[in-house]
Order: sequence, then structure tokens, then C-alpha cells
Amino acid sequence: MATELQTNGGGVTLGAMDVVLKIWRSDAETGERSLERYEVTVGEEATLLDCLDVVKDKVDGTLAYRKSCRMMICGSCGMRLDGRAVLACKERMKPYVDRGHVPVVSPMGNLPVVRDLVVDMGPFWSKIRAVKPWLDTGYQEHPEGEFRHSQQAMNPIHKESLCIMCGCCVSECNSMEADPEFLGPAALAKGFRFVGDPRDRGKIERLEALNEEHGIWDCTRCYFCNERCPKGVDPRDAIAKLGAESIEAGIDRDMGAKHAKWFVRSAETTGWLRETELVPKTQGLAEAIRQTKFAVSLAKRGKVPLPFPPHVAKDVREARMLRELVRSQGRTGAAGHIQGERALSRIEHVLHDDPEKAPASRIAPEKARG
Amino acid sequence: MRVAYYKGCLASLSAKELDTSTQALAPKLGIELDELESVTCCGAGDIHEAEPDYYLHLNARILAYAEATGSDTLMTICNVCTLNLRQANHMLQNDEALMKRVSDNLEAVGAPPYSGGVEVKHFLWLIAAGEGYDRLKSVAHKGLKGLKVAPFYGCQILRPSKLLGFEDPDRPSSLEAIIEACGGEAIDYPAKIKCCGFPIIQAREETALNELIQPIEQSMEAGADAMVTPCPLCHLSLDAWQQKLEASTGRSFGMPILHLSQLIGVAAGLEDSELRFRRHVVSMDPVLEKVEAP
Repeated sequence: MATELQTNGGGVTLGAMDVVLKIWRSDAETGERSLERYEVTVGEEATLLDCLDVVKDKVDGTLAYRKSCRMMICGSCGMRLDGRAVLACKERMKPYVDRGHVPVVSPMGNLPVVRDLVVDMGPFWSKIRAVKPWLDTGYQEHPEGEFRHSQQAMNPIHKESLCIMCGCCVSECNSMEADPEFLGPAALAKGFRFVGDPRDRGKIERLEALNEEHGIWDCTRCYFCNERCPKGVDPRDAIAKLGAESIEAGIDRDMGAKHAKWFVRSAETTGWLRETELVPKTQGLAEAIRQTKFAVSLAKRGKVPLPFPPHVAKDVREARMLRELVRSQGRTGAAGHIQGERALSRIEHVLHDDPEKAPASRIAPEKARG
Repeated sequence: MRVAYYKGCLASLSAKELDTSTQALAPKLGIELDELESVTCCGAGDIHEAEPDYYLHLNARILAYAEATGSDTLMTICNVCTLNLRQANHMLQNDEALMKRVSDNLEAVGAPPYSGGVEVKHFLWLIAAGEGYDRLKSVAHKGLKGLKVAPFYGCQILRPSKLLGFEDPDRPSSLEAIIEACGGEAIDYPAKIKCCGFPIIQAREETALNELIQPIEQSMEAGADAMVTPCPLCHLSLDAWQQKLEASTGRSFGMPILHLSQLIGVAAGLEDSELRFRRHVVSMDPVLEKVEAP
């Protein structure tokens, strides 16, 4: 550990530290790829981005990465640290040094690598553009005065408005890895930012488009996007809001929507999932018949429970009445999600694991975001 | 310890073997199960997506019935139930007005009110640490004889960690600790924290299979004799849909998939009638041969 001290602008004395990093270097043009080790001396407050700057300035000027604001607002410096997509400017390195851990830095996933830590954001932007990220005001002529909206009316899209389009959510999206055409968490969160905007006049048209093949029902609910988002957008929750708004608006042609609706139907009729009927209710009878061979193989193992007599929960009448009651109270569609956001934002992000075993970034619990 | 036990849909239906093995195993680990009767499906991610206010009330109703048993712990055996119930619980515990509205609604339909006195914990969490873990080591007397087991966590027992929070969502170790306590060898592979594809396996089968192949292929390449999962939905995907993966890739996997309770159950010498491996699609015979070998 270096002992030299440096002084910041406020006159506070800060210690210096030596940071060791391994960085995946690559060049898409030549196809060359190698894991290189770097050691730099930085202030104890240094972030990953600070370390990369020192590597570039003092060790190897050919290192390629993106950056701009250095304060978690421009969204340029998304990359992976020990496999997690992070903003390089948000990650302090001291915990890694304290543990003697040498982290590996690599480019984000699900986007083509151009060089070193730089990915081609082209596919990301084309998906953002696909959700028409602008307000459809419904008028052509410029109005004479401003339209006023209460803060309350704008609160439903508060979280989605926080997105800085860094791509950290997209990097780890399991559905996009399996289906590269999936619109993905960032574009869908942007989609809800306009679907939920009280000034927008294109809601139904937007929902129709987001219900297409590679839209909201592609989401596999892996929750990597919520886990990774550095700004508390919680894209998975935005996708759930779009699902709720779609079904409330009667846009339910997709198998994903039919699947979701069957759970509601099951809960209010028998209480438990009517599992065997889920396939024809989701895929339609014709497809269910085409799946007969598969179904028979499962039935032999008791995995196709007979729908008759139905498996009915005790006191299921309560669940039925409850649905009628809550629907009469009007918190339908995305409002049902939004009502819980204030409470969820109050949760401390605390892990009960042994801190010795946790990676450096997890040692200091941080306040829940959002 | 006495806990309210919520088994969820699948353990009552296509994954009955999860319920029977859990019911047989829990008392040996010092966990007395008080099974909830007047409860429904938690809605999976589906009611949460389709009708979120109804989702909240259905889960609040489950929490209320758990609280009415007098226990402070609601034990789950499914990742999806765990996230749903914990999320609903956090919403209610951190918002007095919401709690009042929901609790009043519960009472209005004849259900017990809820005051927020229950914590939701997956079975895995009760036995991966503390007293439960100490007991596990003595219960697993028969051992797994070095069986190579690939842990598969699935998603909703890890993420979002601010709602789950039992362990590091990127480097979890609870299943590994249990495998080793049972005398097995834990196999490491990158996809153990990724998605099995189950939530979209009916609506987007091709995408789901592209997800499913990763843990199965990687655990096979890492030399696993079997995989273990704490989630019946992951189990169904890994076990029942494995044949579809074989058909679409032309490859043979034959990877046996164990529920967590079955893995410990084998090491603890549970009866066949409790483990019920005949209900699996992929044969468990190679695993049992290895464990039973003299």
C-alpha cells in the first residue's frame, strides 16, 4: 500500500492506495482478446473510472472506454466489474483494495464489442427509437399557453423518468440474450415513461405496439434489470405496469397476456392455479392438441393433474369477493403497482450474509434506490 | 421452531413430491410445519402483472392467515412465492395507509386482518445458516458419497436483492453449503444464478429453451451428476422441458434434477414414498446408484 498523501481542493487529507485491476482488452477488427493486469496509485476515494483514467494517462494510452460526466448522470461509462454491469463512475475501489481482491473489468453484455470496454450502442438506440420516445401531444399547432399538470399526475412515471440510458439493465437481460430482438428493459421502461404520461395522447397505439412479438411478453422476469439499474428505474416493474395497462385496456391477444389472465381466473374460481387448463388457455386448443405427445410424457409422471374434480382452496369465496372489492376501488392497471412504490423505496438494501464472503462492493450496504 | 407453511400451487399439483419430501424432512431439521389451509395461489408473476392490486390482496390474505397461526415466520418452498409474498409484505409493512386499506378489505370479505407481524422465509434460508444448518449436518447421516451436484438458484430467490437479501445475489453460497453438509461436491458454473426460462415457456418457448439450455449444458460440462434447485418452477423447466431441449438440439442431456428437499432427503435416508422420484421425467436412477453404492 502506498503511503503518500494527497490533498483535495477542500484541504482534507486523503490517503492514497494502489489498485490492481484486470481488464479484458479486445479489438473487434483483429479479433484479438486478452486479459491484462494493471496497477495504479490513486486516492482512496477513487472510483473505477478514476482508475481507468490513470491507466490511460500513465500506463497505456490505447485503452478504450467511454466516459463523460463522471457523476452518474450521462450514462456513458457502463461496463462490467466482476461480471456485474455498473457505472464505472459510481463504483468505489477501496473495498476491493481492503480485501486484496483483484477485480476483472469487461465490456457490457448483449451488445457487440467494438474495442476494449467500448460496446456498439447502435442496437440499444434503435430499440429506444422503436418505442417512439417523444410526447404525442395530439395537436399540431403551437398552443398559446402552457398546459399545467400537477406533480401528482406526473408521479406515476417518476421512476422511469430517472433512466440515463446507460445500458446496464440491457447488459444482463436474460431474455435478450436468448432473443436478441427483444425490445429489452431500457426501451420498455422508456415505453412506460410515455404510456403513463398524462399529457400523451398515444397510449393505446403505444400499448398495441409494445404487445407485438418481441415486446413486453418476452420478459422472463429474471429481475437482473432491477438488480443492476444504477438509478432505481426498476425496468422489470415498468414492464409489469405495461402488462397491467395492456390487460386493463383489453389488449390481451398475446399468449403472455392470456397466460397472466388465466392465473387471475384460477385465483377467483378455485383459488389455486388450474394448471392443466393453463396450456389450452394460453396457447389455444389447436396448439394444445399439437402438444399431446409432450403432455402424455408428463402425464405418465403425474405432472398433468386432472382438472376434475377441481382442486379448490378452502374459503375460496373470500378470494372471489376480494377481486370484486378491489376492482371497485379503482386502483386498476399500473396504479396497482405504483401504490406500493413509496413503501418499496424505503427498504434498506441490507444483506444478511457474512461480509467476509461477499464481494467488496456489497460490504457497505447502501440505501435502497428510487 | 414452529412456522406457518405455505406450499403454493405446484407442490399441491404437478410437484407433489416437493410437498411430501418437505413435510417428511422439516421435522427432522427441527422445523414444525403449520400448514395453511385457507390460502390461494400467490399469483406467480402473472397476477402481479395482470391485476397488481388483486395480487397485493391475495398475498396479504396469505400473510394474514399465517399471522393468525401465531407464528412469526411464513415458510415458502418456491422462489416465485417467496418474492411475491416478501414484496407484498414490504409494501404493507412500510406504508400504514396501504396496510389499513388492504387489511380492512380482508376483513370485509371475512378473512383475518393483517398487522405486518410475519416474515417470509424460504426453506433454504432456514437451513443454510444457524441452528438449522447445524442440525442438517447430523440429519444427513447417510451422505451423498461425493455426488457431484450443480446448484441452480433460479432468479426470484436472489433478485431483486433489496427484497430478498438473504445472500449475495451474484455469488450466492447457501446451496453449496447444503450440498457439502450432505456429503456431496458442489459444482460451480456461471449460469447457476440465471433464468430457467419457465415464466415464458408457454408463451415464448424458443426463447425460454435458449435460456434453459445454459444451466443444463454448463452443469453437464462441469461434470455434475445432478442439479438441485430450491424452486418447483425451475424444477419443472429443468426436468420436464429437458426432453424438448434434447429434441430441438439433437443432443442427449439426461441430467437428473432434484428439489432441495429431495437432495437432503436422500442424504437423510427418507423413504421412497416421501421422495417420490417416479414423478420426475428424467430418471434419478444414476444418482441413486451412485449414492447407494457400497
